[in-house]
Amino acid sequence: MSHLPTRVPDVESESRLADIRRKAAQQEPMNGGVIPLGAPFPPPQVTKGYYEIPLLKEPQWTNEIPLYFFVGGAAGAAAVVASAASIMNGDPDLVRSARWVAALGGLLSPPLLISDLGMPSRFLNMLRVFKVQSPMSVGAWTLMAFSTFSAASVFTNLMRRKLGNSTPVALIENAAGMLAAASGLVMASYTGVLVGATVIPVWNKHVGSLPMHFAASGLNSAVSILELMNHDDSRALNILGLAASGYEIAEGALIELDRDRTNRPLQHGRSGFFVRLGGLLSGPVPFTLRIAYALTGNKKLRRAAALSSLAGSLLTRFGWVEAGKASARDYQIPLSRAQS
Amino acid sequence: MPSLGTSFGRGGATTAQQDLQFSDAILIMGSSMAENHPVGFQWVMEARQKGAKVIHVDPRFNRTSAMADHWLPLRAGTDIVFLGALINYALTHGKYFREYVVHYTNAGTLLRKDFKDTEDLDGIFSGFDAEGKCYSPETWNYDGAPTTQSRNGKHPGHSDDTGGHGKDRGGEAGEIDQHKEDPTLQNPRCVFQVLKRHFSRYTADLVESSCGIPKAKFLEVAETFTSASGPEKTAAICYAVGWTQHSNGAQIIRAAAILQLLLGNIGRPGGGILALRGHATIQGSTDIPTLYDILPGYLPMPFFEDDSDKLSEYIEKHTPKTGWWANFDKYVISLLKAWYGDAATKDNDFGFNFLPRVSGDHSHFGYWLDMADGKMDGLFVMGQNPAVGAPNARLERKALSKLKWLVVRDLVETETASFWKDAPEISRGELRTEDITTEIFFLPAAGHAEKAGSYTNTQRLVQFREKAVDPQGDCRGETWFMYHLGLRLKKRAAQIPSVRNAGLNALTWQYETEGPHDEPVAEDILAEINGFKTSNREQISGYKELKNDGSTACGCWIYSGVMPSRDQNKALKREPKGRYGHGWGYAWPSDRRILYNRASARPDGEPWSERKKLVWWDKDEKKWIGLDIPDFTETKAPDYKPGRNAKGDDALAGDKPFIMHQDGVGWIWVSSGLKDGPLPTHYEPLESVSTNPLYPNRLISPVADKKERSDNAYAFPNDQRFPYILSTYRLTEHHTAGGMSRLLPHLAELQPELFAEISPELAVQLKVKHGRYVTISTMRGVIEARALITERIKSLLIDGKTVHQVCVPYHFGYKGLVTGDTVNDLLAISEEPNVRIMETKALVCNVRAGRIPHDKNDLKIWRQELGRPA
Amino acid sequence: MSTDTTAFLTDSTLCIGCKACEVACKEWNQLPDDGFKWSGNSYDNTGALGHSTWRHVKFVEGTPEAGIGGNSGEQLPAWSFSSDVCKHCEIAGCLDACPTGAIVRMEFGAVYIQPDVCNGCSYCVVSCPFGVVQRNVDDGRAFKCTFCSDRQRAGLEPACAKACPTESIKFGKLDELTAEAESRLQALKARGIHDAVIYNPTETSVGGIHSLFLLRGDPSSFNLPPQPEAPVIYMKKGWTSAAIAAGSMLALALMSFMGARR
Ligand SMILES: Nc1nc2c(c(=O)[nH]1)N[C@H]1C(S)=C(S)[C@@H](COP(=O)(O)OP(=O)(O)OC[C@H]3O[C@@H](n4cnc5c(=O)[nH]c(N)nc54)[C@H](O)[C@@H]3O)O[C@H]1N2
Ligand SMILES: Nc1nc2c(c(=O)[nH]1)N[C@H]1C(S)=C(S)[C@@H](COP(=O)(O)OP(=O)(O)OC[C@H]3O[C@@H](n4cnc5c(=O)[nH]c(N)nc54)[C@H](O)[C@@H]3O)O[C@H]1N2
Ligand code: SF4
Ligand code: SF4
Ligand code: SF4
Ligand code: SF4
Ligand code: SF4
Ligand SMILES: [Mo]
Repeated sequence: MSHLPTRVPDVESESRLADIRRKAAQQEPMNGGVIPLGAPFPPPQVTKGYYEIPLLKEPQWTNEIPLYFFVGGAAGAAAVVASAASIMNGDPDLVRSARWVAALGGLLSPPLLISDLGMPSRFLNMLRVFKVQSPMSVGAWTLMAFSTFSAASVFTNLMRRKLGNSTPVALIENAAGMLAAASGLVMASYTGVLVGATVIPVWNKHVGSLPMHFAASGLNSAVSILELMNHDDSRALNILGLAASGYEIAEGALIELDRDRTNRPLQHGRSGFFVRLGGLLSGPVPFTLRIAYALTGNKKLRRAAALSSLAGSLLTRFGWVEAGKASARDYQIPLSRAQS
Repeated sequence: MPSLGTSFGRGGATTAQQDLQFSDAILIMGSSMAENHPVGFQWVMEARQKGAKVIHVDPRFNRTSAMADHWLPLRAGTDIVFLGALINYALTHGKYFREYVVHYTNAGTLLRKDFKDTEDLDGIFSGFDAEGKCYSPETWNYDGAPTTQSRNGKHPGHSDDTGGHGKDRGGEAGEIDQHKEDPTLQNPRCVFQVLKRHFSRYTADLVESSCGIPKAKFLEVAETFTSASGPEKTAAICYAVGWTQHSNGAQIIRAAAILQLLLGNIGRPGGGILALRGHATIQGSTDIPTLYDILPGYLPMPFFEDDSDKLSEYIEKHTPKTGWWANFDKYVISLLKAWYGDAATKDNDFGFNFLPRVSGDHSHFGYWLDMADGKMDGLFVMGQNPAVGAPNARLERKALSKLKWLVVRDLVETETASFWKDAPEISRGELRTEDITTEIFFLPAAGHAEKAGSYTNTQRLVQFREKAVDPQGDCRGETWFMYHLGLRLKKRAAQIPSVRNAGLNALTWQYETEGPHDEPVAEDILAEINGFKTSNREQISGYKELKNDGSTACGCWIYSGVMPSRDQNKALKREPKGRYGHGWGYAWPSDRRILYNRASARPDGEPWSERKKLVWWDKDEKKWIGLDIPDFTETKAPDYKPGRNAKGDDALAGDKPFIMHQDGVGWIWVSSGLKDGPLPTHYEPLESVSTNPLYPNRLISPVADKKERSDNAYAFPNDQRFPYILSTYRLTEHHTAGGMSRLLPHLAELQPELFAEISPELAVQLKVKHGRYVTISTMRGVIEARALITERIKSLLIDGKTVHQVCVPYHFGYKGLVTGDTVNDLLAISEEPNVRIMETKALVCNVRAGRIPHDKNDLKIWRQELGRPA
Repeated sequence: MSTDTTAFLTDSTLCIGCKACEVACKEWNQLPDDGFKWSGNSYDNTGALGHSTWRHVKFVEGTPEAGIGGNSGEQLPAWSFSSDVCKHCEIAGCLDACPTGAIVRMEFGAVYIQPDVCNGCSYCVVSCPFGVVQRNVDDGRAFKCTFCSDRQRAGLEPACAKACPTESIKFGKLDELTAEAESRLQALKARGIHDAVIYNPTETSVGGIHSLFLLRGDPSSFNLPPQPEAPVIYMKKGWTSAAIAAGSMLALALMSFMGARR
């Protein structure tokens, strides 16, 4: 991209070149002067950085991680729904299904998490220590607790239905359910802190909203799964669905409105596509469908909303992890931006 | 090292790297010290911290330039113009150190009336023999000094086919101790005045128009450097192959020597000329030479035609009456005793005729061209990789295929060992593996950690190294190989006691051995090098003990003293003491770290200044003392005056620091020993894009040997086909021909591909993008390289015409983790007249955007380049 | 911090770009190569710090003026070199983030990854504000400069510092080197080199580093972030948000089912 035609140098053009250079050396790089094909090397500038080599390292998470975010989130929310329902002695079938969803999620999550490790055999090293300052550590322990309690809750639930409603078992079941719900609340939200509290600009920019975003997304998918399990006449679930997708609309709007460079991965490229589509499918689309269902009572609409929400929250998780990688590649941000 | 040898008396750096820290200015030229001698460079940094000005003159802005206070880009091959201008500046601006010049140099010496300068004869000195293409030094002689002649009427050191005698120790063509002189330096025929006239045309303007250095910048630097000398200050010069590898390399260094003598910078702390040598112990391999024309300790190898077969006559011819070399006979005879032991007797001239004779140009290029012409049967290649490292590598590789047998001893299978299967000539169809009849033996060598032995480094410091680990498998050290090869040859020779074998049969070859493989004990060899009394094999304490009657033996007189007793190996000592770390290793001669250091004191023996004191005369003790070991007879008083017919060292007065020279002074003027003239003169490189600004009718050195032939062709003067200057250099990340770096991942990854450094301006002209490939061609061959377009390369304005320089590192070859085209395919085999070195730093080439296919078509593309109208 | 904590002072005004440090580190730690790819970025073909490069020499090209070399005060160096390394932060993001406790603080202040504990979760990778630590995909674990803890334990200086011919890499006590950096800065300024700066982000949440740098011009041109922040500063915000999320989710669930009953 030479600004100059090929020239035949002579004394006069040489001297001109000389003082262009001198000027260039004094002021900033020699733009407007001679910029031969591919040269000179970019002189050091803040905006240029070091040969445009990213300062930060890209997240090295594999696809299991966003998948785990999705599964864990849904399972956690399901546990909450289960307990809420049973407390308010709602439909026992719904409670059972919710416990099952939670338990299955609790069963699926560890393998997903482990398979991403560089050394899966050493997963248990995570349980050597508990570090509050490490969301990853908090998460590992929470997951352990959650898997245990959610499993316990279905197990006791099974026993109760075999042995009939003996009070002690019911007590244990509810206790286990409560604990599963408690850890479920963390499960659904901590992943937001996990990605938010890092050096990746696009992630830590949203550290204040990510936990809510992921929690809402989790609730959204939990509700949807239950609905698809034929609990599609529960008004409560539809209300929760509406609330979740309502929140997603707001979240999506906020992201779209902020055109800050740091937000680019959420608006452009592969990651941008995922995040946007994810937002659409888990926000506006299910919201309108649910409203329509409430008015018409047509269950097809409700099931459609459920399917859309599931796809949406899955895409959202993938989108955010992708966005993190793209953000790390943007060498300019950590060089120019003065962080909060 | 002929320039340092002739100028000062010894073929070695006059100073030590550590001493640079005491300099007030350092001129680094013809070297990228930071890149190629990084460890030594710490002392330059040290000096810089103390406020010394560092000046780097180099075609490329490289890692050394980045550390310098001044970088001056110059057109490759114009160093003598630059240095000549510095000399002229010192002379015309009264910057020279007059008292030093008057007492310690031959500036006052009168020259013969019949001498004619290049300024008089348009580019040649008097005594030029046009068809012989060589000089007779007779007219260069001092006025009043009788000339010596060889049997064949030629003058010592000036018969055509030789590197030449006395080149490493001062000439010998005349008894120059007898001569007229004028201490006032007024006489128009005295060296000083001749010098003034000779360099009068080397001006700042010439530097600007010929080197491409802005006049103002030159003057600034000239002032900086020349004013950093005198009684209170000293300046040093560092050079390496950016100077030596030119068709007039020796004379470039001579120019530096003259400058340093004029400025009084030799023999003084922070002064001197630091020859930055190459391979570990490359200095050692000239002290105990791997060269064909000298014997250990810079004794001349006898030549077939101009040396007698009588020892007495040989000695007579090579022994000056005055100066240290008067001891010549002792050193030769002791060497013969070391080599031939009891077989060397008075009656058989101590086996003088066991020594082979030089009968032609036996230098690398001399015999390699013979090889190319099928005149050689076999070759040992040990610790060398000429298939990549030698100029016109294409010719060199093809020549190998003409051998009957080839032995390669190396750490790794080098290109030289495998040329028969993977050389470019094979892929280009120039050679067919099936047709190559050469039988090749690859013998694995032990690395330096796997064997004991010594290095002699760039500052003449002999350092002994113990074996760290045993070599693996069949790997063996050099001493093992040589020793056992010797045994086998002697066994053979013993069966056929012909005259031809007499030397081999007489050769002493008993060394202590150790280990399962009978490895000779390196210290046993060092003991022989140090020398001993033949009567009782008792070690001698130094070369002063050597005798000319066969009662002493010594393998290399200058090293004598390194092992004064069997249990005392000074090269192995690791207890540095004092400013120069005496007690760490052993610097020849006599552990002197700064040579000619008598010059650090005034004629009366007092230091020139407190700041620059080094050795001085202690009036009470009546001896020379100081921070270094005096390079002077310890008890010779400053006011000592020699008697009428005193001989040897006694013939030198107490104020003559250059004790190796017949007249005891530093030589601004070299009356003989150099084959291309008594003074440096600028000639263009053998291939040049310019004309000689000084002598339009004398483009190149009249005595350089181009070895021109169809397979070693040259571009015409100002050849339009090859409009750019090509210069080759080194990268810190690689080592020479790459055998030691291209195979090591941790080095190979740092510079993984061959590139050419090109200026942005040239890039525009060539329409080449950064990082894309360019094709570079010369009259010898064609290669491709990545374009590294950088502002660090400046196109220069020479005579109003823009000249572009292209610089390429030469480390790459076709083997290893990282490979690249062999840059030496582009170079020509040529011989500088004194040391027979090739010109690697300045030639001409063409550059095009694009690649070459690396098959038959390479040659098509290349011929197209040659075919373009000249 | 205790006075016997050690540190590096990497003085790029003394660096000759010989890469001895980079090679010495790889040799001592027997690291793999980064592959053999020509970058065209001046003489730097290894790019950046990573799992296989723990010392890395950067080459920044400017515009050389004929007759003005790198260290005259007259202008910016035309070609400057700087050897980068793990900063061994006072508040080390990688250390805090590590869920296995593989990353520990050594007695002399080093931030050290215990290779026998690391399980390769790669969370440290997204927690280092300097982009230093990285997971080796073949091996699975994360790697970075060990501060030659093995050598320091044995009373030796780090291999990189040992190899540096020009003392561009100084190794010593943190407090002493901090002082030395200051005096060196003054010395350079006195020589007219006004663009010399010390890089030691003490104002940010990183709270200072054990690898101080002295260089000319803008640290950004060497990829040194002007304001590195350890993830710890995001925790409060993050967990608050998580708490709100959890609280409102629970409340919502209860309310919706309560409402559903009527
Ligand atoms: N890392 C490393 N170190 C080495 C070696 C190695 O291969 N790698 N090799 C060793 C050996 S064998 C040797 S001989 C030495 C050589 O050491 P150097 O002589 O320093 O090596 P080069 O890089 O070949 O040449 C030095 C400089 O000369 C410049 N130059 C080229 N033409 C001219 C000219 O006409 N005039 C002037 N003034 N300068 C010119 C080049 O641009 C280059 O910067 O290094 C030794 N040290
Ligand atoms: N274009 C161009 N060409 C040049 C130069 C230039 O500047 N430009 N420089 C010239 C100079 S100065 C030099 S010195 C030459 C160097 O050229 P060469 O000497 O041909 O190249 P090296 O790679 O140094 O070869 C040394 C070999 O010895 C092997 N070796 C190392 N240690 C041992 C040992 O202990 N025993 C044995 N048997 N082998 C060992 C190494 O593996 C290596 O292969 O190149 C010259 N060629
Ligand atoms: S390689 Fe050896 S000789 Fe060369 S600079 Fe380094 S230490 Fe010195
Ligand atoms: S620089 Fe990065 S890797 Fe090094 S200690 Fe700081 S946070 Fe950890
Ligand atoms: S990758 Fe290893 S060192 Fe890094 S955080 Fe995970 S366990 Fe700790
Ligand atoms: S301290 Fe040791 S590990 Fe760290 S960079 Fe230096 S050599 Fe490498
Ligand atoms: S070893 Fe020292 S001088 Fe060489 S690159 Fe590293 S820091 Fe710079
Ligand atoms: Mo060399």
